[in-house]
Amino acid sequence: MAGGYFNQALLVDLGTGHGRTVPLPDEVLRRYLGGVGLGTWLLHELSDPSVDALEPASVLAFVFSPLVGTPLTTSAKFAVVARSPLTGMLTDALASSHFAIAGKLTGHDAIAVQGRCERPSVLLVDGDGPRLVDADDVWGRSAEETEAVLGQRFGGGWRIAAIGPAGEAGVRYATISHDGRHAGRGGLGAVLGAKNLKAVAVRAATKVAIADPDGVLAAARDLRERSFGPATAKYRELGTLGNLLAFNAINTLPTNNFGASTFAEAPALAAEELHDLRHVARASCASCSIGCEHIYATKGGGSTRVEYENVYALGPLCGVSDPDAVLSASARCDELGIDTISAGGTIAWAMSCAEAGLLDLPWLRFGDGAALLRALDEIADGSGIGPLLAEGSARAAAQLGPAAQALTVTVKGLELPGYDPRTLPAMALGLAVNARGADHNRSGAYEADLGGELDRFAPGDAHVTAAIETEDRAAIIDSMILCKFLRGVFEEPFEEWSELLTLVTGWLMDGDELRATARRIVLAKRMFNLRAGWTLADDGLPRRLLDTPVTLESGRTVRLDEPTLTRMIAAYHRGRGLDGDGLPDADAYADLCLSDDLPDPARPGSTNPPEPPATLQPTGARP
Amino acid sequence: MGAVGIVLAGGRSSRMGAPKAHLEWHGVTLLRRTVGIVGRAVEGDVVVVRAPGQDLPDLPDDVEVVDDDQEGLGPMQGLAVGLRHMADRAALAFLCSTDLPFLHPNYVRRVLAGFDDDTDAVVPRARGHRQPLAAGYRTTLAPTVERLLADGARKPAMVLDACRTRWLSDEELLADPALAATDPELTSVRNINTPEEYDAALAEPLPQVTVERFGTLARDGGRGECQVAAATLGATADAVGITLDRHVVAALNGERITRDPATPLVAGDRIAFLSADAGG
Repeated sequence: MAGGYFNQALLVDLGTGHGRTVPLPDEVLRRYLGGVGLGTWLLHELSDPSVDALEPASVLAFVFSPLVGTPLTTSAKFAVVARSPLTGMLTDALASSHFAIAGKLTGHDAIAVQGRCERPSVLLVDGDGPRLVDADDVWGRSAEETEAVLGQRFGGGWRIAAIGPAGEAGVRYATISHDGRHAGRGGLGAVLGAKNLKAVAVRAATKVAIADPDGVLAAARDLRERSFGPATAKYRELGTLGNLLAFNAINTLPTNNFGASTFAEAPALAAEELHDLRHVARASCASCSIGCEHIYATKGGGSTRVEYENVYALGPLCGVSDPDAVLSASARCDELGIDTISAGGTIAWAMSCAEAGLLDLPWLRFGDGAALLRALDEIADGSGIGPLLAEGSARAAAQLGPAAQALTVTVKGLELPGYDPRTLPAMALGLAVNARGADHNRSGAYEADLGGELDRFAPGDAHVTAAIETEDRAAIIDSMILCKFLRGVFEEPFEEWSELLTLVTGWLMDGDELRATARRIVLAKRMFNLRAGWTLADDGLPRRLLDTPVTLESGRTVRLDEPTLTRMIAAYHRGRGLDGDGLPDADAYADLCLSDDLPDPARPGSTNPPEPPATLQPTGARP
Repeated sequence: MGAVGIVLAGGRSSRMGAPKAHLEWHGVTLLRRTVGIVGRAVEGDVVVVRAPGQDLPDLPDDVEVVDDDQEGLGPMQGLAVGLRHMADRAALAFLCSTDLPFLHPNYVRRVLAGFDDDTDAVVPRARGHRQPLAAGYRTTLAPTVERLLADGARKPAMVLDACRTRWLSDEELLADPALAATDPELTSVRNINTPEEYDAALAEPLPQVTVERFGTLARDGGRGECQVAAATLGATADAVGITLDRHVVAALNGERITRDPATPLVAGDRIAFLSADAGG
């Protein structure tokens, strides 16, 4: 057995409470590593991609990684992987906390759930296997309250990932969180909610072997030292909110539902400003030496963690510059358990609709902080416009018709993060083609646009190469897993990462193997989506971005040229070895190590539900 | 398709007594500066036309160099080579000589904005002189220029008589508010031919640029704007205590992102120093 692994996943049938072990051979683990990579393979093997995300038969997996539990800084991360109720495609979201360590040390590389609990329940997993307990006393509570109540009930050692009221209510962009860290994008909380599963509690029961403990310790010391250097200074000193003013200065701060790329009132929301006036504390995730979390005071005596994406989506994107309103909205999203980006994106879209007379909501106007908070409240309690907005902007717009759809800014149904693709062509491609939809974490192509090497107003082949390269790097760092905020300390990332993995696993890996691994993970995600109904036409950017140019301070007008974007997408597909139907060649598909045959693009979603692996073994039952 | 740039680097520099392309200009070479200024103003490629075997200073990787294989035919031959080389890339080109240390991107833009469908060349009459070596040309003029050369013509002015030329007066140039604000004396066309002119030009005040630092770069009282006198990005960074390493980039007027210290600056520029790590 390789170091860092248990070579098994746990699959729990929530209808019966029974668990089964799913063997994970070295061949699979080495191919997919862990995190989003292994999660993708598991979803292929355990679920039918054509099953709706909110149906009981859907599968959701908490997936750990070989580095979890080592002293390597930022390694206490886990991925949650499922078919998204928002996009209908694969989604994978990461969070950092002790849940990762405790979950892995239950003796599993992943914990997956399928089926539906008869009543609101909590799943417990430790050395005694899985069991379900009632969640009546926490149903309706926030994730934070749920953790507190269940922590009291279960006693020490348990780490609890929970959903908030939004997940219970089926808000399609609900999150799962532990210790305030959210697996945020794609609506994974709604998947758990549909399964009547309020929380998953894990408790460490064993240890995991590491191939070279001394080597890992030395590497951990070195990495920790490097994590204090200039590559992470931005995160330590101001956090990700440090992006806001900088992005505003370079015309890439989406404002008023992408009606503009600068926000005149951005300074009121800037980290530089808030840090002086409201900074309360700085915090770190488990096993992290960076400490990127910056806590700010909110109106009324509370406090909240603030990230760039929260402030972007609930601030400039909605035209809101009142820091009290934005911070309160961010805290409210955390309390409800909803993704701030999709929440802000959906409300901003609704503001556009109201402005255009497509929604009769005179109170919902850009720039109105009270309206922003009211919209969040209605999403939470299902009143007023809430049920429509709970669907996310793409589904909501489909109910209203073409004029409303023309105002959406999503890719594959996922609202855009705070990077304006019209001024970032490599990122535009990264957003257009990513399997998860509009996503800045699985495609870090903005690095190429903002790195000073490429002309961000003259897209070409180099931007395509950069988009592939950054997507590959993300695939590995999200599968090992390490925090992306650490990426700047690696000068030769694939080579350095392979050395870390070799120390932990004992496999003699090199950079080339990891590059191949990255390509495999990216391809496996696309194959899942193909089975879920994806077509090549889903790779693209929304009409609103193509039709709305951006005017720079110089007066120069730039637009995302559709023929150029189309050429870049085609070049990306070629670079990924895909044919005109989005399919790889037989060898590349065989390398994915999947049980199913190459999907037929003419029959999306036609794959038969896979039979459970013959080697599954019962390991537990409802007490 | 955006316009392209053509910079003529040939010529004997006989009055200067040293190759103009290599002249030092506040930390960079004169050719590097001119190429950089033209590159800032055109959307397409920039090409340098040099004499056979001419040694050139270091240039950015994206700048092409083409050889003018016929020596002694003057700038008209360079014009022909440059237009021919760029003919399939763009309809319009801005062409200039190397020795324009005060060339401003707004001048280049103003010249190129002077084209319409009935114009083959846009040539300023600035500071009392025709400026065919700081002018715009339609790239389809290449055969015309080549024919004139074959007929013995040697002065670019002869090209202008043979095509539809639009002349721009000082007043017309300065009707452009951006140019009027940044180069009211039209020093863009002030060339240097002798050591004395070179020394006098070097003694002129450096461009005033506005600097803003963001994020961690604004620590220790660095927030807000400040004014710096500097001819290059590198000098600007030095002036505000920033090292242009892999963790830092600069945005030039909110548009071009670079960390090349040789990037030329002009009066009115705004420089934003940012963290190169834009993750979040």
